[in-house]
Amino acid sequence: MSSPTERISSDTGDKRKAVSSWTGLSLVAGRGARRIALALILPLAVIVIWQFAGQGTGNLFGGVLPTPDRVWNAWQIWAFGPTGMGLNPYSGTWLANVLFSAERVGKGFLFAILVGVPVGIAIGWNRIAAGALDPTIQLLRPIPITAWLPFSIAVFGIKDVGAIFLISLGAFFPIVLNTAQGARDVERNLIRASLMMGAGRWTVLRRVVLPASLPSIFTGLRIGLGIGWTAVIVAEMVAVKSGLGYVLWDAYYVGRMDVVIADMVSIGLLGLLSDFVILQIERWVLNWRRLQSYQS
Amino acid sequence: MGTITFNDVSKIYSGQREVRALEDVSLTINEGEFVALLGPSGCGKSTLLNVLAGFEKVSSGKLLFDGTPISKPGPDRGVVFQEAALFPWLTVWQNVIFGPQVQGIARADYESRARQLLDLVGLSSFADALPVQLSGGMRQRVGIARVLVMNPRALLMDEPFGALDAQTRLSMQQLLLDVWQKLNTTVLFVTHDIDEAILLSDRICVMSARPGRIIKTIPIELARPRSIASLTSPEFVAYKAEIMSDIRITDHH
Repeated sequence: MSSPTERISSDTGDKRKAVSSWTGLSLVAGRGARRIALALILPLAVIVIWQFAGQGTGNLFGGVLPTPDRVWNAWQIWAFGPTGMGLNPYSGTWLANVLFSAERVGKGFLFAILVGVPVGIAIGWNRIAAGALDPTIQLLRPIPITAWLPFSIAVFGIKDVGAIFLISLGAFFPIVLNTAQGARDVERNLIRASLMMGAGRWTVLRRVVLPASLPSIFTGLRIGLGIGWTAVIVAEMVAVKSGLGYVLWDAYYVGRMDVVIADMVSIGLLGLLSDFVILQIERWVLNWRRLQSYQS
Repeated sequence: MGTITFNDVSKIYSGQREVRALEDVSLTINEGEFVALLGPSGCGKSTLLNVLAGFEKVSSGKLLFDGTPISKPGPDRGVVFQEAALFPWLTVWQNVIFGPQVQGIARADYESRARQLLDLVGLSSFADALPVQLSGGMRQRVGIARVLVMNPRALLMDEPFGALDAQTRLSMQQLLLDVWQKLNTTVLFVTHDIDEAILLSDRICVMSARPGRIIKTIPIELARPRSIASLTSPEFVAYKAEIMSDIRITDHH
């Protein structure tokens, strides 16, 4: 004679068992959905409050700040409106400007990697390289990217090269510092093991120091890319005539604050997207490390 | 091939306080001999192994390997480290073939040997695993396989089983006995475990600390092939008693 409570408890027990093979998957999906929902609360709240605060006039702060619906409309025309001669010079130019900026960041960032990673490895690995390069780098590092603007315009003129120079410079420092740190911290016995197995100096660098430094290198890349986005906006505001930074400053001058806000949000989303891309590459490259941290 | 000769070797670390890690060490290890270096931690036994491996330079004296002075590390002296020191980003297989690969040996010339060795240490089915997915004992078996694949003239083992639990240590000792009894390579085995030293070696060199010196050499004449069953034989116990009185373990109770 089993009591009803007993039956119920055994019933749920069975269900739990049947579900258990799915829990792994549904847990991940559920966690992802919850994380996104959690992340959206704050920005949605800000937009709603902002919209209601400006309801009626469509502006805040005495007409300076347009409400979100007006920003959204401005962005739609900016993105999908007809291009050509019209009253709205931004109409239909969003994608082109995004691509201008993204291309500059891409080129500058790539150049920063190509120089920053080898120099960083050299500094972290070789005492002479460290002595010869590190003090100069530490001297140049505190100079903010904005302070380089006059120099960049004077040397490169109002051209793409100037913007790319500033982006490279900005991204270079975090990349070089983090790479050097990673190369310095390589476990001594890994180096010894590779020498014992007959590896030459170059092989040790390529097959041991470089992979062992990759976690630090990726930290540098993420910081560097963020600075790259800062640099591209600064450069475009002053030193070139296209891209999101140029539109930002230009729209401000003609009082198009709706375009200014839409531009700022675009920059934020692009930065987020590019960081996400790096993160995915990191997860793929550093698979071994993910397993390590999962176990510990 | 595989003769090691220490001739009045000293190693001094200069610094704020000078440390005499090795003082006038003279020792010859013959071809195919298994010598255990026994002593408390900090007695310089790892230093002795490191200079022999070529990781550090001697301060004075002569150190020869098959008659040639040692100047740098190389695949003729395979080192097994205490914490295995595998490359965490490479799979077991990639770790094992790292040596032949960086030496530029053709794949066909090492592949079958590497497979055999992986089989010998019982890890064939883990070839594609990453080191982090293995237990400590399994990692150490990879560490042994990657050294043996290079066919070294000497094996230098620095407390290789020191970080393992007692049971895993026993199975690793048995494995090493089996492997060594097949290959007969010269072995220098650093340990602070008396049982391990007696079980494995032909000769035990007992070291004292500060300055690091070899204070006694004890030949172990237990019959070979040995196995971990030898651990309880009366001869074994007699050796253990002798060594314990030699190193005069002070009783604090």
